[in-house]
Amino acid sequence: MDIFSDLMMGLSLAITPINLLYLLAGAMLGMIVGVIPGFGPSAGLAILLPVTFGMDPVGAIMMLAAIYYGAMYGGTITSILLNTPGESATVASTFDGFPLAKNGRAGPALVMQAVASFVGGTAGVIMITLMAPMFAQVSRSFGPPEYFLLAVMGMLTLIVMIGQQWKLGIISAMIGFALGTVGVDLETGQGRYTFGSAELIGGIYFIPIAIGLFGLGELFYAFHQGTHKTGTGGIVEYDKEERFWPTKHDFMSTRMTMARNSVLGFIVGVIPGAGATIASLMAYSTERSLSKHPERFGKGEMAGLVAPETANNAASSGAMIPLLTLGIPGSASTAVLLAAFLMWGLRPGPLFMEQNPELAWGLIASMYLGNMVLLIISIFAIPLFVQMIKVPYRILGPCVIVICTLGTFSVHASFIETYLMFAAGIVGFFMRLYGFSPAALVLALVLGPLAEEALRQTLTISRGSFSIFIERQASLWIIGVTLLLVVGLPLLNRFGKSAGDAENVGS
Amino acid sequence: MRLAFMFVVLAGAIFYSYVAFVDLSFLSRTGRLGPGFFPRLVGVFAVAMTIWVIVDLLRDQRPEEDDASSWVDVVKLMVLALAYAVLLRLFGGFIATVIYLAMTLTVMNRGKYLQNVILSLTFPAGVYLLFDKLLNANMPPALFSFLN
Repeated sequence: MDIFSDLMMGLSLAITPINLLYLLAGAMLGMIVGVIPGFGPSAGLAILLPVTFGMDPVGAIMMLAAIYYGAMYGGTITSILLNTPGESATVASTFDGFPLAKNGRAGPALVMQAVASFVGGTAGVIMITLMAPMFAQVSRSFGPPEYFLLAVMGMLTLIVMIGQQWKLGIISAMIGFALGTVGVDLETGQGRYTFGSAELIGGIYFIPIAIGLFGLGELFYAFHQGTHKTGTGGIVEYDKEERFWPTKHDFMSTRMTMARNSVLGFIVGVIPGAGATIASLMAYSTERSLSKHPERFGKGEMAGLVAPETANNAASSGAMIPLLTLGIPGSASTAVLLAAFLMWGLRPGPLFMEQNPELAWGLIASMYLGNMVLLIISIFAIPLFVQMIKVPYRILGPCVIVICTLGTFSVHASFIETYLMFAAGIVGFFMRLYGFSPAALVLALVLGPLAEEALRQTLTISRGSFSIFIERQASLWIIGVTLLLVVGLPLLNRFGKSAGDAENVGS
Repeated sequence: MRLAFMFVVLAGAIFYSYVAFVDLSFLSRTGRLGPGFFPRLVGVFAVAMTIWVIVDLLRDQRPEEDDASSWVDVVKLMVLALAYAVLLRLFGGFIATVIYLAMTLTVMNRGKYLQNVILSLTFPAGVYLLFDKLLNANMPPALFSFLN
């Protein structure tokens, strides 16, 4: 009953006219950003973070969460109508989404993806509601050694998931750690890498780097790939179809698909580093192997669209568990969310739910509402998003640069930070081009200062001995889980990727 | 190009490590771990990994599949973005955005003069209303005070 009363308290906080307005605006903005090719939740969060600065913390965090899963919903529309996934988590949705649209079933496909996203997202939030307090309870005994190990786990799992380019992933993380050390050392008060600049004393701020890497960097990369030249000529005109709404058969035949993949997606989402992309590919592959008609997959099978959509939205809910209860983000987008929390003076982690019940439960409650809002928006605002898709990238690109620039400036009214954002954009482009991982850099930038502080505290407690990590039971558990993930995740990754590759070859 | 980028990263990593070893102490005066401890770890690891990748690249000298034409527009976009950064300092948020969009759309969206002019005026106006009026956020001020 505790959970229920906490949730009710959260709902009472979330349901105020102004918060609902923020939620609606966040969901809408998230979807708009998600629709732009190359831009996913991390870009959406980074670019739109400055917009939330004038708000109260509950409203701001509700809006950011809505942007986060709104971008997840939005990414699929281009997968279905244009065969162009908005980002990697919606790649699997093109396998059957686009064939469905080409077969004259774009309307039902769009509605069913919204329903699947809603089911996955809502099931994910229900599981968060039930499991977050449990996780928080377990992690309450954690001290500095465990925090350090958790940060290492977050980094290692992300790097392991990068696969072949893991060396570049490590270098990206080192760049992030290095940037995180700039500024005054909090223990000794000594300046590090400030070179006499007053602007650098407070450290390198996270927002310009995130906006530069995910916003500008991705945009430059899209121009390099020629996205601005291809246009939207291949878009399926869904409004000329006879039937917009799905049939009863569409719902009935996919109800178990939704149930299965909500759980699968959530579990994969909870694992740091695995995330929505792997969840969606695994869901697709699992669904095909369970289907009575596997031969229909890739040719316009509704279950082939519903499975990855349910899973990627459930996974993005699952990713909130390690963020809220352990304070470690498992992906770039949750790293941006963590940075946002830190900016509001909130430190997610074991004590977060206990010390900030209004915020934690307000956020969880808002996710129920957010998913409902998104279901409505993503069905009834489809014409608007289709118009968005039709705006050529060569026009959209410069406008995005303006938003990134003015958004960065608005945070601290700093020209230095604006220039830093441009620099991060150019570096981010080369990183993306040559196989580095901007996500690892951002994660390290956020986790670096936390990890350094925890490590120094740990070694002070142990008087310089590293054996503390194997003397504490909780630390040993984390080391065990980390080893398990480092060995197991590449297998998971391979399974997901092989499903994706098989489909690409097949189609 | 890839190799050149790796050498830039290596130079950065060496400089970072140099500062960590020369300017920052490993232990603090009280005998605890000092400000140089973590940067030294990071620096050494970054240098080692970058050298490893460079050696791999030198061994596997495959020609880069890079089409020069794909660089034209992205370089233009970068140069225009940097010009925007300068314009912002000189003319402030609104005017710089109008000039930047007019220039960029003329280059990227050729021949559509009317569309470009309308966009260059309406988009900055919309953004100005959103940031300055609705969100009460900071817009870059102009260096020349009469433009503010």
